[in-house]
Amino acid sequence: MNHNINPVPLSGLYKVRPFFTPGVIILTLIALNGLVFVALRFIFGIGYVTNLSNEYPWGIWIGIDVATGVALAAGGFTTAALGHIMHREEYHSIVRPALLTAMLGYTFVALGVVIDIGRWYYVWHPLIYWNPNSALFEVGICVMIYLTVLYIEFLPIVTERFMGRVNFPKFLKFLNKPVEWLLEKLDKGLSKTMFIFIIAGVVLSTLHQSSLGTLMIIAGEKMHPLWQTPVLPLLFFLSAVSVGFPMVIFESVIASKSFGLKPEEKILKKLGNMVAPILLIYLAFKIGDMFIRETFHYLFELNIHSIMFLIEVIVGVIVPLFMFLSRKAIKSLTITFWASVLVIFGIVINRFNNFIVAYHPPYSFKPYIPSIGEISVTIGFVALLILLYRAFVMFFPIISVQPKNNAQIITANNYEVLNEK
Amino acid sequence: MDRRNFLIKTIGIGAAATLGNTNESVATPINVLSEDRMGVLVDTTVCVGCRNCEWACRNSHNIPTPPLEDYKNRSVFKEFRRPKEYSYTVVNEFSNPQNPLLPIDVKFQCMHCDKPACVSACIVGSIDKLPNGSVVWNSEKCIGCRYCMVACPFQIPAFEYLTPIEPSIRKCDFCIERTKEGKLPACVEICPVEALIYGKRSEIIKIARDKIKRNPQRYIKHIYGEYEVSGTSWIYISSREFDKIGFPKLSNKHAPGVSEAIQHGIFAYFVPPVLFYSMLGTLMWINKRKKELDVEEESNES
Amino acid sequence: MKNKIFITIVILFCSVTIIIGQKDTSQFQNQNNKADNHPSITNIENRSSFFFQKKTGVSHSKQPINCKTCHSCEYPTKNDPCLKYCPREGMMTVHHSPDESPEIIIMDEMSTRFGAVVFSHKLHAQMSEMSDGCQGCHHFNTTGPILACKKCHEQTRQREDISKTDLKGAYHRQCMNCHRQWSHTTDCNSCHLPKNDDFKRKISEEVSRISGKNHPPIILPTKLVFETGYSKGPIVTFYHDDHIKLFDLTCNSCHQHDNCIKCHDLNNKLTHNIVESQKIHKVNKSFDDHHKPCVACHKQDHCSDCHSTKELEPWSHEKSTRFALKHYHEKVACNKCHIRKSQFEKLSIECYSCHKDWKLGSFKHSVTGLILDDNHNSIECNECHNNMNFSSKPTCENCHDDKSFPKHLPGKLRKNNIMNNSKSKITKK
Repeated sequence: MNHNINPVPLSGLYKVRPFFTPGVIILTLIALNGLVFVALRFIFGIGYVTNLSNEYPWGIWIGIDVATGVALAAGGFTTAALGHIMHREEYHSIVRPALLTAMLGYTFVALGVVIDIGRWYYVWHPLIYWNPNSALFEVGICVMIYLTVLYIEFLPIVTERFMGRVNFPKFLKFLNKPVEWLLEKLDKGLSKTMFIFIIAGVVLSTLHQSSLGTLMIIAGEKMHPLWQTPVLPLLFFLSAVSVGFPMVIFESVIASKSFGLKPEEKILKKLGNMVAPILLIYLAFKIGDMFIRETFHYLFELNIHSIMFLIEVIVGVIVPLFMFLSRKAIKSLTITFWASVLVIFGIVINRFNNFIVAYHPPYSFKPYIPSIGEISVTIGFVALLILLYRAFVMFFPIISVQPKNNAQIITANNYEVLNEK
Repeated sequence: MDRRNFLIKTIGIGAAATLGNTNESVATPINVLSEDRMGVLVDTTVCVGCRNCEWACRNSHNIPTPPLEDYKNRSVFKEFRRPKEYSYTVVNEFSNPQNPLLPIDVKFQCMHCDKPACVSACIVGSIDKLPNGSVVWNSEKCIGCRYCMVACPFQIPAFEYLTPIEPSIRKCDFCIERTKEGKLPACVEICPVEALIYGKRSEIIKIARDKIKRNPQRYIKHIYGEYEVSGTSWIYISSREFDKIGFPKLSNKHAPGVSEAIQHGIFAYFVPPVLFYSMLGTLMWINKRKKELDVEEESNES
Repeated sequence: MKNKIFITIVILFCSVTIIIGQKDTSQFQNQNNKADNHPSITNIENRSSFFFQKKTGVSHSKQPINCKTCHSCEYPTKNDPCLKYCPREGMMTVHHSPDESPEIIIMDEMSTRFGAVVFSHKLHAQMSEMSDGCQGCHHFNTTGPILACKKCHEQTRQREDISKTDLKGAYHRQCMNCHRQWSHTTDCNSCHLPKNDDFKRKISEEVSRISGKNHPPIILPTKLVFETGYSKGPIVTFYHDDHIKLFDLTCNSCHQHDNCIKCHDLNNKLTHNIVESQKIHKVNKSFDDHHKPCVACHKQDHCSDCHSTKELEPWSHEKSTRFALKHYHEKVACNKCHIRKSQFEKLSIECYSCHKDWKLGSFKHSVTGLILDDNHNSIECNECHNNMNFSSKPTCENCHDDKSFPKHLPGKLRKNNIMNNSKSKITKK
């Protein structure tokens, strides 16, 4: 079975609408608004923009931008594992979009960290000052290395885009040859060593996705018992794995819609079928942990904690699980899509719960409610991410388009893909 | 790519990781628990709430402060206060059911845990537990991530949220600069009633036990900080249950325990990650090989 | 080796004692010199004598305290006295009244930031009678001289033995607890004089202000009526006067831990009316704490013995025991008859049950109103009073067949006849 893949930059395709659609303009405004607050944060300090305090040191910038960002970028390593390590070539067409999401996602995680930490210019300090006892250290190091790995994994796409077409303007013309030579060497070298980075990406993701869960364990009694459990790392890892494919499905469908392409229904539905078992394992651990620690009685206290927990588990896990398991889902992309949306929603709520809802310090004078600035930045980053994604798929060969009859059919390693003509 | 090449590379990476690990154990932050580490016994039944310690603390840490005379104002006790970025220690007042005219005054500051959560949590090892018991923040390394604040069970570290450049984590440092010179911590030195007794932790625990034994009506039978979060350098005795005078109820297990156990379990000298890496590599190779064989067979057949 | 160490310690201790003792007096002289220009200071001149209690000279093994108070072993020797460390438990013998104590003490030893404290010792001692007494401050004193605080409490905070507080802490602990209660402040200047050039004049001013002052005598109430929360008997009538007189109580046998605040409160001005102040400072005491002062004696009494719905009459011996205390009995202290202290057990009405020493020759019969004639004066009591039963009618039949009491008397009656009363009592019975 040969699945034809042929990723192309969408900008050249006649079908594609112009870059600046009304939606894009709105997104740009949202992004600019966010950037204004980012600027304010750098000029006047974190306290000027956020509602963070000594009681609540971490807000939505960590809870959503970083923790959720990392989780939602899990599509990158799950598809890499599926496509390359399990060597299922039929999925190669979704590897690149997932890789792009992961790369952009982690870039924004890094940006989120940079704006949230007080001394952003020391963000590299974990590289030289090590504290192996710290879960955050592990997350930090892993994210840094993984981000590098993601950039390296993305390089072939760049070389593919520019190889043989390097054309600097007049006075830089002398650079054309050396750059061309460099790209060629890079391409050759990368295609030989890429497997190292792919495996490293999977290992690093496994490590830091779970360590992200370890983060809140040290908060001990400050965390609500519904969430505070020693198996948090496992739960974080499982939930990250379970959100990987739904995220790919979600963005594929949205991107196709946005560019007026036909979504690759077959592959996406196949991916959808794989979500249910992972989701089931995650749910089993989540419920099992609850019963082992006998925390279920907290569910009957009707408060923000129990309600948020129930939303997270029922809307975010159980409902989509049934949707994925239903027979219709195998046929219908719509159900698969909406089930994926629910899984994503569930994970977002889960991370939000773990980092913000569950955290109640021993001395709290007023509850933490994110400020307009914080929300603006978070939404702005999301908007910026979507815009960049759009720009990237326009200018780089990422999304595969069903080939025309006369097009060359290539069945080879993703990294030996030939240039389109 | 051929099999041999691949295996050599995998092993090489594994070996590099293991070698890296040996260096890492050297880089582990010092977390020494000296037998002679110091501590302070706070007798809340003696404290009169003069707040001289607040002044002395600010004064010795070069934090701008109103003159000492202003600290006699007792109206601040109307609200519960917490140590903040510019006041490392605060005194709070709680009602005394035994004698409403003699309220209980309690000084709060960093407890200087024996197994500090902040030290374990800090991403760059910017907080150290020193042999004399102090838990001290180090400005050079800090990146301002505030994970120490998340970790601290006593909610002590404070952050300069309104400083855009070089904001600091600020908390009681047990007057490390003074104790280095052989002086007493500023609050201990100024306390008019010596409600703060500075001495070796082992010794002040003995004194606390002795006080409780001698005055069973005066004290409840609980030394806060003797066992809480597996021991703190600052310990308290009181006439009223500690959760009624502003202390969190904490277990005797030290805060970083579970977290560190998981952390070291996952890493365990880098063995699990390396194993995982090799496993994935082998799996990848097998799958690729299978595919190649299939293709070969196909081409042979055709 | 051990002995050597001990001897050095003893020598050191002695020399320190001597040095400090000398220092004490010299300091006072200094202070006197300082305040020389003021006339009222003269009355504190021979202060050094106040540092010695009157009862001295008794061999220390015969002191009225338990050896175990100071020594940890059974047989302390000179070589190994096995002395306990301070703070030791209860040990205080102060034998003089507040009025004999020094009037003013100027404390100016540790002032680094603040000036001296002029302490009105006598006034405070007078007030202390209503609380802990001298022991309140002079705790753990030996049976010898009254020690200066600094003898035990070290002057530096950085020290070897941190088990007992330093001098600064010791001073402040004595003062601040009470002062902050009635003045509601912990202001240093409320005791310390400001440290400036004017300081000498300030001291003498302060000294003249205090000297000669006495605490106003505490007015003893006769009766206190408490309204309690006990529904069955909300009113408790307490005859304060009776208790003191009958049971020979001192202030601090009940008011042991009373605080100055009971009378003094800056916010409530000075309330010298105890009844009123008691109402103001209603303290949330536990049931046991509340009843402690009474229960110490009223062990077996029922609630209703004190709690009633109305004010109770003062207690009367006649009403409760039907034995009126008259004549000689009126003036006798309770514990002369009710020997077992704090347990006023029922006594037999028989005279002989108490007056066991009544026998021929030792009893002056004339006190009964009947002067016995010579014949009867020389026979045993029980010849007439059968079985030494003095309360019932005496019998003549043991000797005389034809005589009977009171028709025939064995003597003559005294003019102011007391007997009639006792007779009426007898007939009543």
